[in-house]
Amino acid sequence: MIVRLLALAFAAASITAAAGAQAVDRTLPAQLSVPTRATLERLIDSARVAGLPIDPLYSKVREGVFRSADESRVVAAVQRLARDLGDARMALGDSAGAEEVTAGANALRAGLHPADLSRLREARRPRSDHPLTVALVVIADLATRGVPAAMAVASVNELVTRNVSDGSLLSFRQNVERDLVGGRSPASALDARTRALIDDERRRP
Amino acid sequence: MSEPDSPRWLKEVTDELRRDVIVRSTWRTRLLEEVARARKPSAHDTVDERFDDEGELGHQPERHHRAITLGPLAGLAAATVLVALGAGVTYMAMSARGGGSADRQRSVAAAPPQLVSGAPASSEREVVRFELSAPRASRVALVGSFNEWNPVATPLSRDPASGKWVVSLRLPPGRHVYAFVVDGDVTADPAAPRAADDDFGSTNSVVLVTAPRT
Repeated sequence: MIVRLLALAFAAASITAAAGAQAVDRTLPAQLSVPTRATLERLIDSARVAGLPIDPLYSKVREGVFRSADESRVVAAVQRLARDLGDARMALGDSAGAEEVTAGANALRAGLHPADLSRLREARRPRSDHPLTVALVVIADLATRGVPAAMAVASVNELVTRNVSDGSLLSFRQNVERDLVGGRSPASALDARTRALIDDERRRP
Repeated sequence: MSEPDSPRWLKEVTDELRRDVIVRSTWRTRLLEEVARARKPSAHDTVDERFDDEGELGHQPERHHRAITLGPLAGLAAATVLVALGAGVTYMAMSARGGGSADRQRSVAAAPPQLVSGAPASSEREVVRFELSAPRASRVALVGSFNEWNPVATPLSRDPASGKWVVSLRLPPGRHVYAFVVDGDVTADPAAPRAADDDFGSTNSVVLVTAPRT
């Protein structure tokens, strides 16, 4: 009982202590040289004018500084991310939100093609206002774990077409991940989990 | 130099050395027995006398192998000391290489980040609990897109109940990229999915936060 109380008190204290998680700081770190900061400011301004989300770009700069990367490497990473964000925006359409575009950029980085994003957008037509963020995150995560991007896209496309909920998509990802860790092949895991989820959806009233 | 040409003093010394040493017969017998015993190969002697040092067949000059016999307790104690010495040497070698590898080995999977059920979420954020099992670490922190990759912003605390390093954060919905800093060494969360964008040489982890439940 005392241990449980202590654990509860500890959990409450740790949440309070960490409650200061804040929005992205839109300034460039002072550790960077003046020419590098100028280059990054130009890149980020261009992204802003193009209507792209810029918080991921600031975060990328901060990560590079934290990891003591060369300034040229930081600039290259931000350039690449800005390009991916632009491609994702083009593929997903102007109505896509910042989270959706950021997830799309990461999916491109994981090996998807812009055409894959466009097909995913077409697949959700029946409920076109629903963001694709979770679907894109699921595809990117699966590709990162060694599932061929085309297979991941095909499975998630089918699920999105059938209006599978975001919660079910996240469970699907976890189940496939578990199967892969257990030694199942990506094709077998994706096929079995996709069919199981579709069957579940069919049984629902 | 032949003996007839030797100086007289040398001849006298040689004669003296050649003279039989008078000892008791029992001492001589015991001495000869000891010499014979020492030359007899023992059952524990593993020297292969067929080969010389160059690997050629021949007489092996003289090798003395001594078998050491230990009792069970003494053997256990010796094994413990050897294991401890081996672990110490390995740790020192890994530390000498920069310490990073050793730190990474201290971290093991605990659990992926989880939404804390029943925790007071705000209207826009969910409470997410991160945890890492790193029993030998003295300091663990969380860095990521949600705290500007600031290694001092989000320290983890050791949970007195489980012994794991934990922290709970209020995070907005979406995909967040993060890593742990274990005694100054950056490492991905062993229990979570990896991010695709490893621009700076090592991968990060990803936490997915869904919209707060209403």
